[in-house]
Amino acid sequence: MPTKKSLMFKKVLIANRGEIAVRIIRACRELGIGTVAVFSEADRHALHVRYADEAYLLGPAPSRESYLRADKIFDIAKKSGADAIHPGYGFLAEREDFAAKCDDLGIKFIGPKPSSIAAMGDKGKARATVVKAGVPVVPGTEDVGNMTDDDLLAIAPTIGFPLLIKATAGGGGKGMREVRSLEEMPALLASARREAESSFGDGNVYLEKLIEGARHIEFQIMADSFGNVIHLGERECSIQRRHQKLLEEAPSSFLNDDLREKMGNIAVKSAQAVDYVNAGTIEFLVDKDHNFYFLEMNTRLQVEHPITEMVTGVDIVAEQIRIARGRQLSYTQEQIKINGHSIECRINAEDPFNGFMPSTGRITHSLLPTGPGVRVDTGVYPGFEITPYYDPMIAKLIVWGETRAQAILRMRRALEEYRVVGVRTNIPFHQTLMDSHRFMGTQFDTRFVEERFTMDDALEARAANAEIAAILATLAAHQQSERNANIVRRNERDTSNWKWVGRWERMHR
Amino acid sequence: MKYITTIDDKEFEIEVVDEHHIRIGDRLLEVDFESVSGQPVFSLILDGRSYEAFVYQSEQDWEVLIRGRQYQVNVEDEREKRLKTAGGDISGGEFHLKAPMPGLVVAVLMEEGQEVKKGQVMLILESMKMQNELKAPRDGTVGRIRVKAGESVEQKQTLLSVH
Repeated sequence: MPTKKSLMFKKVLIANRGEIAVRIIRACRELGIGTVAVFSEADRHALHVRYADEAYLLGPAPSRESYLRADKIFDIAKKSGADAIHPGYGFLAEREDFAAKCDDLGIKFIGPKPSSIAAMGDKGKARATVVKAGVPVVPGTEDVGNMTDDDLLAIAPTIGFPLLIKATAGGGGKGMREVRSLEEMPALLASARREAESSFGDGNVYLEKLIEGARHIEFQIMADSFGNVIHLGERECSIQRRHQKLLEEAPSSFLNDDLREKMGNIAVKSAQAVDYVNAGTIEFLVDKDHNFYFLEMNTRLQVEHPITEMVTGVDIVAEQIRIARGRQLSYTQEQIKINGHSIECRINAEDPFNGFMPSTGRITHSLLPTGPGVRVDTGVYPGFEITPYYDPMIAKLIVWGETRAQAILRMRRALEEYRVVGVRTNIPFHQTLMDSHRFMGTQFDTRFVEERFTMDDALEARAANAEIAAILATLAAHQQSERNANIVRRNERDTSNWKWVGRWERMHR
Repeated sequence: MKYITTIDDKEFEIEVVDEHHIRIGDRLLEVDFESVSGQPVFSLILDGRSYEAFVYQSEQDWEVLIRGRQYQVNVEDEREKRLKTAGGDISGGEFHLKAPMPGLVVAVLMEEGQEVKKGQVMLILESMKMQNELKAPRDGTVGRIRVKAGESVEQKQTLLSVH
């Protein structure tokens, strides 16, 4: 590898919004790099706009008219003189054409090469690539290419039931069906194809063996352009609902040091198979017998990256920028030590007592938890309007503890301290989870929340405090009606209003 | 002044005796209730135990947020309540299912005239990238359906009615 001259970034454009845009701006600030924010009409007041050095309007609220408008983002990058673009996660982060266009324009894309995004973006291709590198994958037809229903029905018994039908272009559980027998398979194939077609414009599907009792464990990797690849340990992400992660923790209590090293090495190998540069995540399924299978690679920064930062001390975003500048990794594998335990709760505007229904509205008050070992990454503030245009995550609450037990106790404390008023949040869900014996005993898999978790305990805890809540509301209502009565009576007084105000204030001092 | 305060269908009879005392049932409790200036934050010391909460009004009810748990509380003074119940039962009548947020109607699972049970899914609304099931709040018969699958709806728009 020839030695490269490292670049200097004077200005970075952040092609994202919300908490992750704020997170990236913070890293740039610490590095003395200027920041350019972009925003939609719905986000004029957003924190990322206010925190950045420069900010430019993209367009109306819907993402396809704003945060997905690559053409406008490039215009703004040129106009503002940005040297680099950080895509965050979601939106344009995993678009090969976007990364390629950056290269063409001489703007550094803070992420992997377009070819790596392409190789990992198509799940079938990704599987075929890593299989060649000796990485274990879940038995299935993903790498075979597009197959007809007849082919799929013929091959299904050789994979064995239960199995999953998944969309080739898929994600987020769309176009996914669980098949228990050959008889029910034709109907499920048809509906999966229909959903995939309407969600992704691509009705192709593949089959995969369903790993029962599986955990979702992922490895953070970092790679520089000199061929150095390291991993920063794992994150346990099995607490999910409808394939959306709700809580992540690092390290996973399910792995021992041997398995961690083995999986870490495989993660590094997977990244090397696509000549990967920058930060990425290798997702694995791990069954109850500790067999593990490559699931996919996310070629970007993850939502849950802070827990890895908490236990390794590595600032992943700063390291991403360093790598993009063409410098070597700051760490060798030997220097990465896992210290303590970290948990992240995704705080969403949704009501756990009402089927996790999204809750829109204005956040009238917000008081963030603080104190030892607590970090909150958020893009909202009092007065923020939760709109249906973007995802419902309002904050990530992250804690660190010396042990898992301490981290859980700290998270309980932080959840109690966190006050959000104006919209419903899933804080009671996280509180109930922190109190559940299965969570405490790490007895869970990816289906735990949907199949074995209830909010019943939360209802009991609610009932315990209901009388206090009743007293508080009654006293507040009483105080208000007394005050209203005073205002009505004001006109009946013969003293001047000024004197009365003075008396009233003395009385209430 | 006596109040009937309701949380999750449970009623509390609370009498505000004077500035520092309330009575619940036959218990007389000492209270020290203070609001924190400029915010809907209240501090309550009840027989020596300290509680802090956000208490604020929303439409007809009060919302109380205490230690991460949120309560929707209805407070009525006793006289008001008596007057209202004298006016007859209002729990029957027509119920209008309204969109809790703007979104796209993915599917209407009901037909006009169909019987529904409480908790049965009536309509699927997509919003914030997620599909949300809207359920019947009580047993009844589906009246007029005002929306079709594929239609965009505004927040609080009436989707269908149940009687």
